Amino acid sequence: MAKDRSQRDDYTGPLRRLLLGVVCLCLLAVFLVWRIDSPRVERFRAQVTDTVVPSMGWAMAPVTGFVNLVRDFQSYQRLADQNRELRSELRQMRAWKEAALQLEQENARLLDLNNVRLDPRLTFVTGVVLADSGSPFRQSVLLNVGARDGIMDGWAAMDGIGLVGRISGTGKNTARVILLTDASSSVPALVQPAGQSALVAGDNTPAPLIDFLENRDLIRPGDRVVSSGDGGVFPAGLLIGQIAVDSAGRLRVRLSADYERLKFLRVLRHLGTEAVTDPGNIVLSDPDATAQAGEDDG
Amino acid sequence: MQLRKPGKTMDKPTSQTWIMRVWFLALAMLIMFFHLLPLDTLPRRWAPPDLLIAFVFAWALRRPDFVPVLSIAAVMLMADLMFQRPPGLLALLVLLGTENLRLRFAGLRDASFAGEWISVCIVLVAITVANRLVLALLAVQQAPLGLSLMQMLMTIAVYPLVVFITQSLFGVRTLAPSDADARAARA
Repeated sequence: MAKDRSQRDDYTGPLRRLLLGVVCLCLLAVFLVWRIDSPRVERFRAQVTDTVVPSMGWAMAPVTGFVNLVRDFQSYQRLADQNRELRSELRQMRAWKEAALQLEQENARLLDLNNVRLDPRLTFVTGVVLADSGSPFRQSVLLNVGARDGIMDGWAAMDGIGLVGRISGTGKNTARVILLTDASSSVPALVQPAGQSALVAGDNTPAPLIDFLENRDLIRPGDRVVSSGDGGVFPAGLLIGQIAVDSAGRLRVRLSADYERLKFLRVLRHLGTEAVTDPGNIVLSDPDATAQAGEDDG
Repeated sequence: MQLRKPGKTMDKPTSQTWIMRVWFLALAMLIMFFHLLPLDTLPRRWAPPDLLIAFVFAWALRRPDFVPVLSIAAVMLMADLMFQRPPGLLALLVLLGTENLRLRFAGLRDASFAGEWISVCIVLVAITVANRLVLALLAVQQAPLGLSLMQMLMTIAVYPLVVFITQSLFGVRTLAPSDADARAARA
């Protein structure tokens, strides 16, 4: 018994207790500083991630690949079912393909007629997904492009088809993308063809909620949801997904981007939406302005 | 009976102790590594157990000298930073919880595993409640209640397995009296 007590004393010596107190105070201080001045600590977090995760990259890629290989192998068991489904889907797709080809030709003709140039300033940087958020409570991924590649906070990230999320937190070599499914994500959107504006708000489920809708009656399941560009958050017109109704009757967005396999993401360079500031100088009320315009003409 | 001065074993960590300390850090890095693998980018309806906390408890209850305060704090703070949690809070709570368990159990070699498990349960519940309470008080956005409860229960459920791995794979066992005497004699 005496030995027990002496061993216990080993671990509660005064020096050790002092160390414990100091460490606890430090942790508490870190937490309080984070609560008070969150951006600074978040920048520190981005730097830590920036140094740690890329150094793990050499091991992460093969392990991820191996796990996915095993998963694919498991899915061979369901191959027969899948095959049948794919066949029926293919039949439907053939019909769609015809329609799409016709539409593509028509679209090209119309674009040609109108002499349209798609936005030349909208270029993108492609990055590879390095890591995910690591916790079931947050939905984000880490890309291998960062401030070095000119990535800036707030830019949009897409896969080939639809919007995936926005950049939030950039290190030198990495950038974190907060996915649309994260509970802290909300994106101004437009529901077509009704033209209703709404917010797409993530709630930690695969399909984000539609919020702040003007008129629900105008909207049907299957309508397209695109980003509206309100508030200069994103470029307008990026495809987000389609409307769906869940079992509780709430409107949700079935996302177009393939969230199950996020591998390569495009980060769109967004240099701000240009705003119309003047009334257009068609009706000139100011005589000076009229004179000046006359001089310019002359 | 009092020949051996208290504090001797702490003052002179043997090389084996240092090796096991490094092993613990490596284990923590491995767990974080697997958490960060981009396998599931779809939101999940379930939450996996928090293996990191379970391993910290299991090691600290068996050989406190293998997991010093600094290494627990460093590992948990790193996990907070990497997993997008509020930094520092969970690390602090885990540190306090470990200390509480240590004070109650250190040296009690004959304590049954059931007793240990129950205390670990209590500490885990306390950590979860305190974490949510502090976050709610400071108006920080929180994870869904269901998911954190599930994580807590999964951690409790997986604890015996973690203890088994700790004992069999890493060979971290409570010192038997003879070992303690042998170590004391060497020191």
